[in-house]
Amino acid sequence: MKDVSKLILEDGAVQDRRIYWDQDIYEQELEQIFARAWQFLAHEGQIPNAGDFLTTRMGEDNVIVARQPDGTIKAFINSCPHRGNVVCHADTGNAKAFTCAYHGWAFGLDGALATVPLEHDAYYDAIERPRYAMHPVAKVESYKGLVFGTFDARAPSLRDYLGDMAWYMDTFLDVPGGIELLGPPMKSILNCNWKVPVENFIADGYHVGWAHAAALKAIESPLSPLAGNQAYDVNTGLQVATRGGHGFGVIWDAAAAIHPEGGAFRDWLAKRTPIIRERLGEWRSRFYNGHWDASIFPNCSFLYGTNTWKLWLPMGPHNIEVWTWTLVEKDMPAELKQMMVATNMMTFGTAGMLETDDGENMEQCTGSNRGWVTRRGKLYSGMGQVREGRHPELPGIIGKGIVCETSNRGFYRRWAELMSGRSWEEVAREPRSAPNREVA
Amino acid sequence: MNAPTQIKTPANPRYVDRDTLFEVERFLIREARMLDEERFREWWQTQLTEDIHYVLPVREIRMRANKQPIGSNPGAFVFNDNYGMLDMRIRRLETGLVWMEDPQNYIRRFISNIDAAWADVDGEVDAWSNFIVYRNRRQRDETVVWGTKQCRLRKVDGQWKLAGRTILVDQRVVLDKNLYFFL
Ligand code: FES
Ligand SMILES: [Fe+2]
Repeated sequence: MKDVSKLILEDGAVQDRRIYWDQDIYEQELEQIFARAWQFLAHEGQIPNAGDFLTTRMGEDNVIVARQPDGTIKAFINSCPHRGNVVCHADTGNAKAFTCAYHGWAFGLDGALATVPLEHDAYYDAIERPRYAMHPVAKVESYKGLVFGTFDARAPSLRDYLGDMAWYMDTFLDVPGGIELLGPPMKSILNCNWKVPVENFIADGYHVGWAHAAALKAIESPLSPLAGNQAYDVNTGLQVATRGGHGFGVIWDAAAAIHPEGGAFRDWLAKRTPIIRERLGEWRSRFYNGHWDASIFPNCSFLYGTNTWKLWLPMGPHNIEVWTWTLVEKDMPAELKQMMVATNMMTFGTAGMLETDDGENMEQCTGSNRGWVTRRGKLYSGMGQVREGRHPELPGIIGKGIVCETSNRGFYRRWAELMSGRSWEEVAREPRSAPNREVA
Repeated sequence: MNAPTQIKTPANPRYVDRDTLFEVERFLIREARMLDEERFREWWQTQLTEDIHYVLPVREIRMRANKQPIGSNPGAFVFNDNYGMLDMRIRRLETGLVWMEDPQNYIRRFISNIDAAWADVDGEVDAWSNFIVYRNRRQRDETVVWGTKQCRLRKVDGQWKLAGRTILVDQRVVLDKNLYFFL
């Protein structure tokens, strides 16, 4: 295994550029991160009935996620244990069995081998069927409707893995009725390293005024004064890095801000806020009305308030697929949901007014590292490091203001921990406390 | 909110006469050139009706036996725009602050297989065509998008205008980094 100890320095603030380019580091990510960490698979509402399934990826492994007759969800690798053929080519559907197109082996909804053509005449009934189940995803668990899976049987529980991020995400997961992810997901490509968009969503409030100047002007939103960094107030929000590499930034009172027609959404928030305050307290009712840019380690991101939900699926060190759904509350009226889908696609779909500003930057941030000399250099995300610290009421490490890189550093600290190959127990034994400084 | 994810010839198409087909062809071909030349404001002002519906649905891959959407799947769109939203997209381009359009991209639209039939509304025409769009950026960043579209044309004051367009891109995973261009 490659020694990665020098790739992330200064408590997460300095990244070695090779982590965005080198094939061997990428291979190690597949092994140490994507074969171990919990990854987003689906929302339960996408496969509500027995036999409903969808296909996705964990790292570069193709995975089928299927609802079982008993209502539970199982996942297994979408590759036939006979000669390796891909078994299911649909995005989604309902099935009683998955039948391989090569020689006709058929598998149950749980991935078990069910029938083998010519089992008697050609295998002489000697085939040990249990040996040839489809390779299972070791653990599949849900958190308030969000289904995740890990290939590592020794991984901590999903709830422990999400840690304090779950406390924050309850803000929108724990609403009456819960949430839904509306699709089908848009899928497109970017020629960038998977970590670059994760960074962008977890921490990059800095680029909003500049990269999105054109969109902010055209949309005429409450955030338009940010265009070209004309105005910035450090009290507009904060950033959070939670243990486990997850994090987000929030802009207060901006939940509906980039929606071209946000009126109905604002009415909805006003109506629901007292319920959220009652259930989850004052702070989370405040988060409920904020706009979040967020990432769940390793490769799932979302914008609560613009209602976009993203997966950045690695396809090599310099290439990803971007999958985009719309995040809504299940109880929202149908018309509001439709508006959410329309505005999410209009802003953060593949022809989105803001998404298209980002894609080019993500590609160029990756592609520049092709240069051998460039690649030997370092990148810096130390913004706000001298001011971040504890908060009397909020968990995690808190950075003041939305323009800050606190959550980026949290992401890279976890990246470095897992890449070193340390066990979950070892990683957990090194609890990180916030710098001993209060940030309100 | 389900937009059609297929474009099909109607059961008994009333194909238009030769003169009308010629006008439809000229409309589509000139429109493509107008867009290639980045005359977006002119396009918006002169080629579109104010009730236009401009749609590019996301297509999902399903087995032939599984036609029905499963679960939280009401339908999603790359474009689901009205006249005002198209205006907003063009205003973004007009700010001069779209860094990725500067330097200018090369984009070229090819349009073929044009056919047209009278629509179910008097004086309106449905026109079908296939397209290839080639885009080149920076030094050697190039992408090609293929697809088909169905256009609803209406004659307003003696001039054809676009009243509706459904675009289908023949890629499940869009192999361009974005589709922020008009098709
Ligand atoms: S590869 Fe699947 S049945 Fe042979
Ligand atoms: Fe952005």
